[in-house]
Formats: sequence, C-alpha cells, structure tokens
Amino acid sequence: MATHTPPPVLEVRNVSVRFGGVAALTDVSMVVWPGEVVALVGDNGAGKSTLVKTISGIQQPDSGEILVAGRAHAMKGPQDAAAAGIQTVYQDLALCDNLDTVQNLFLGREICLPWWKGRRMDRARMEKRAREVLSDLDVKIRDTRVPSSSLSGGQRQSVAICRSILANPQVVLLDEPTAALGVAQRKQVLALIERLKAQGRAVVIISHDIGDVQQIADRVVVLRLGRKVAEVTRGGYSRDELIAAMTGALDAAELAALRKELAHG
Amino acid sequence: MADLSSDPKALSGRTGFPPMNRHDLMTALATRWRMVPVLIALALIWTYFSWANPLFISPRNLSNLSLQIVVTAIVALGLMFVLVIGEIDLSVAASGAVSAAISAGLAVNAGVDIGIAILVGLGVGAGIGALQGVIVTWFRAPAFIVTLGMSLILQGILLDLLPEGTNLISLVGTPLGKIATLYLSPGMGIALLGAMTALYGFLSWQSWRASHQQALGGSLLREVLLPTAAIAIAGAAAVAVFNAYRGVPGLVAFLLVLLAAFSYVTTQTRFGLYLYAVGANAEAARRAGISVPFVRIAAFTLTGLFAALGGMIAAGRVLGVSPDSADTTLLLEAIAAAVIGGVSLFGGRGSVWAALIGALVIGSVSNGMLLINASTQTRLEVQGAILTLAVVLDALLSRRGGAR
Ligand SMILES: Nc1ncnc2c1ncn2[C@@H]1O[C@H](COP(=O)(O)OP(=O)(O)OP(=O)(O)O)[C@@H](O)[C@H]1O
Ligand SMILES: [Mg+2]
Repeated sequence: MATHTPPPVLEVRNVSVRFGGVAALTDVSMVVWPGEVVALVGDNGAGKSTLVKTISGIQQPDSGEILVAGRAHAMKGPQDAAAAGIQTVYQDLALCDNLDTVQNLFLGREICLPWWKGRRMDRARMEKRAREVLSDLDVKIRDTRVPSSSLSGGQRQSVAICRSILANPQVVLLDEPTAALGVAQRKQVLALIERLKAQGRAVVIISHDIGDVQQIADRVVVLRLGRKVAEVTRGGYSRDELIAAMTGALDAAELAALRKELAHG
Repeated sequence: MADLSSDPKALSGRTGFPPMNRHDLMTALATRWRMVPVLIALALIWTYFSWANPLFISPRNLSNLSLQIVVTAIVALGLMFVLVIGEIDLSVAASGAVSAAISAGLAVNAGVDIGIAILVGLGVGAGIGALQGVIVTWFRAPAFIVTLGMSLILQGILLDLLPEGTNLISLVGTPLGKIATLYLSPGMGIALLGAMTALYGFLSWQSWRASHQQALGGSLLREVLLPTAAIAIAGAAAVAVFNAYRGVPGLVAFLLVLLAAFSYVTTQTRFGLYLYAVGANAEAARRAGISVPFVRIAAFTLTGLFAALGGMIAAGRVLGVSPDSADTTLLLEAIAAAVIGGVSLFGGRGSVWAALIGALVIGSVSNGMLLINASTQTRLEVQGAILTLAVVLDALLSRRGGAR
C-alpha cells in the first residue's frame, strides 16, 4: 500500500455516542483518504447513521474527536461541518418538488444582483454554474427549468448530490443514496459517486447493498452494535464474509483472521 | 449516461422534441400553463353573459365590475402568501374590518391626519397577521383554528370599537369615502400602461441579455418581445374600455400596480422563492439554511397587511364601517378567488395574478347574474359549482405534480 504523506482528509478517533442506555457508538475509529470511497455497512441499528451524523456535526460525540485534514474540529452543527469541507446528502431527498433544478441546486445560497439592480436573483449566472456542475458530473437533465417533481428518482438523487458539490467539499457523506432506486437509476448514482472520487473527493457511503459495496467501495468498515468489528479493502473479502461480519455469524477466530488480513492491508 | 436507455421513464425525457404525454401535460398545467384553464373559463363566462345581455360588455358595466372586484382581489392577494406556505388565514375579513374601524375612528372621530390614520390601520392589520404567524409557528398550532379563533375575537373587538347606538362610523364626505370615485384622466391611464409595459419589457430584456452573455441561448422574440407585446395589447384594450367610460378607476390602477410589485417580489427575489420552498418542503428549506419561522411569520404578516388594506377600501366603497364589515362573504370570496386563480390549498403553488383572475371570475358571475336577473339561488349554485370545479382541478394537479 502506498504511504500517504499528507494527513487523511477525515479521521474519526475513538468516538463514542450514547443515547440514554443505548450505546449507539463505542470507541469507533476510522480514516478516510482523499479520492477514496469508504463504505459503512452493518445491520439495522448498528450505528451507521449515528456515525455519519457525528461527522456532519448533527450529533455531538460523548467522547473522541473528529479530525479534518489533520486538525481537530469541534463541530457544533452542520454549518461547522460545511465550513470544514464536509457535506452530507441524507436518504430522504432534500429537494423541493415545485422548484426547478437550478433553484434546488442553489436553494439557500442564491446569487443576487446588487440592491441598485433591484436585488433580483441572478438566474443566468446560477443557470450557467448549474449546467457546469451537472456536466462535470455527467448528470443528464434535459431541461433545468422543469420542476423537480418531473425528474426520475435517480435524477433527483443526482441533483441532491450535485447540490452538496456546489460548496466544493473535500468529503461527501451519503446515507443510503441508492435505497429507493431501481436498477438503472442505481447505476446512475453509483457512476456519479465514481466521478466524485475521480475529482479527488473522499466519499463515505452507507449502503445495505453488498453488490453496490463490492462495486464502488475501496474500503469497507463494518459496524455491529455500535462497534467497529472489521475493516476490509477492495478484493480482500467475499460477500459471505462481509455478511457474516455484519450479522455476527463469524466467531472470534474468524474475526481475528479478518483483522489480520486488515492489518496486512 | 448510457444506463438511462434502459429506464423507460428517463427514455421519454431524452428525445430532442418529445411528444407531450399525459404526465408532461399535467405538469405543464400545474405550472407554466396553470392560468390557461382559468382564462378559458373566464372567456366562456364573459361570452355567455355578453350574449345573454349585451349590457354586460358595455364600458360602464366593465368599469363597475372592475371596481367591484378590487377588495376581493386585494384580500385574495394577501391570502396567497399564507396559502403558498401551506397555511390558511380565516381572520382576514374580521381583521380588515377592525383595521378599517381603527383608521376611520382615528380620522373621523379623533381628527387624526388621514395619512397617519391609514398607516396605523395598516400597522394593526400587519400586527394581527404577525401575531397569528408567531402563534402558528412557535406553538405549532393549526392555523385553521388559530385564525378562526382570532376572527371571533376580532369580531368582538369590532363591536367594541364601533360607537354604541348607531354601531356605525360614517365615511360620507371624508377623503376615504371618495376613493371609489377617483378616475385617472385618459392620458394618465395611457401613461400608466406605457410605464408598466416599459418596465416589464426592460426587466425581461435584462434577463434575456444576462443569459445571452452567459451563452445560455434563449429567444429574444419568445422571452421578451412577445410577452411585452401581449401585455401592451391586453393593457391597451383595457385602457380603451375604461377611457370609453370615465377613465381607469383609481382603485383599479392601484390594484394593478400592487400586483405588479408583488409579482416582482414573488418571482424575482430570494424571499419570494423561499415562500414556495417552505410551502413545498419545509424540512428541505430548513436544511438549506432558510429561516423557516421568519418566512412563515412574514407570510402571515403580509396577509394581515393586505387584509387591512382591503378592509379600508371596502369601508371607503360602502362609505362606512359597521358590524357587517366583518361579513364572512368577503373571506369566502377571497379564498375562492385565490383557489380559482390557481393558488394550491396544498401549498407551494400559485401566482400573484391568481388573485386578479380569480376575483374576476367570481365578480363576473355575480355581476352577470344580476344583469340577467337570475335568482340568488342560481347565483350561489353557479359560484359554488365553479369553486368546487377549481378545487377538484387543484387536487388533481397537486397529486400529479407531487408524484415522484
Ligand atoms: N436520536 C436517538 N435517540 C435514541 N436512540 C437513538 C437515536 N438515534 C439512534 N438511536 C439508536 O442508536 C442505535 C444506532 O442507530 P443508527 O440509526 O445509527 O443505526 P443504523 O446503522 O443507521 O441503522 P439502519 O440500518 O436501520 O439505518 C440504534 O439502536 C438506535 O435505536
Ligand atoms: Mg441509518
């Protein structure tokens, strides 16, 4: 494995989160390098969403820290994470159906003309920038002026992802981006993730689909009951091993073997 | 993306000049072409009444008709703001009456300067709206009941404000009492039309030039020249009709300027966009960093402001404020006007012009029914049927438009 001289773009160090009596995360650590796709897998309730929320500043860890580009960040809210270069796309699409693609992409950060020109929104500049971002990521939307309600599920998810890219983040967190999609649209979104990676951004993706994970993830972090139980690299695991690690069907010895494989990376 | 070709839904969207399928048609009807069915209905109504009684299209009757709809249109314009964010305000008639009573009381009984009296009344209306907005936003109480309760309170306050015995503040002989009799001179009517057309032409030319500079294309003919010409022609026809009687009524001119100004606010400014965003998906708006409480309270405040404005104009037209000023007919007609004009009760959809067109539909039916001596029963039945049709159309379009 190549040695990385710059610090990892994102590092999670010994993070624990408790909700009352429930230990949602216990002493979880992971690193993410630039241009890398890391998948978070695990059974329902394993703590994946909690980990993503902690990284994106929505959930404060009880202990442990989050480092961005080697520097510790105490993130009090999503704005802090955004400022540090982290953007999150949540599973439930955050688009407004009645607004068109350009309006959705720029919602909350519209470009406006100065007050002496009437503070109009500068539609032309937003449209231009929107087309650039969409074509950079090869997202095909025939007409950027039709309301989002008439886009397909894959197109909508793509717009939501492009929306996060407008802020030029170093890390993009995706919580089950393909969950509600059909086969073709799923491919469309996976291709989009590949292009984010090609742009040098780090992508952390939660997925329940082992096929998707095998296809796009460079590294897979397996959580079970709030603990990191395994971490494997591309090609270094089989489908069955992954499922076994997720469900806890592996016994300690097998787990140790997996861990050893991890150590040899 | 090559993968798209295997997806039938995406496929239909990829051909250069797509055949318009049913879904596209419904989407267009729900958005760009929302006014088309309403305008057709209005044309049919006008054709029928002109045939049944030619007096209907006389300049005198059309001039009166346009004066009759001003109050409904202004209150409907106000209601549009709360409807777009997915709320409702049932207190508009009562709050308009209370505001008018305060203005009239100050001006007539207390001798306060009329300008100041009007400003105070408008402030009261806006304040009532803001208060309701705060209650609905902070306590997450349903607007339907909050504003219904407020309406009852305001009707009580109105009775307190009116002098005991007569129960009437008369506006006969006061400046407020004359507003309905003001007309622009023929020249002023033409000048106003010229100014509004020029402003529209300039703004749309500016947008066209900006997208041209960004190499986004766009046709000068379709985006600037044709719409501007359409406004000029429609406006010229209207001004000609008005000038054939007494000139453009002052209140109608005021209404049109108000609509134009708020058309700009809702379509060109960030605040306008946020109203629609909050109405469609408040959670998405919140995550985008929009202050949803601010937008909600602002919408209720604007509704209250326009309710007060409508209340004062209504008082000016009937020459006084009485307990009847809080009559629910105005509330019902204003909601009906907004809905008929295409403001969705489900939030997120509707334009400022809906208030004008919807009020015209309702006003034309009332006016025409009187001219053909139809009974009150028939008038109520026809108006009810139109409103029901409009709300069914809204439900159909919203279901389609909202479908993923
Ligand atoms: N806000 C909360 N309050 C209390 N408990 C919570 C909260 N959020 C999560 N939990 C608990 O923490 C644990 C981890 O939840 P989390 O949502 O992170 O799981 P997940 O891996 O994303 O699961 P899924 O695959 O179902 O999305 C669960 O036991 C859950 O019930
Ligand atoms: Mg989850």
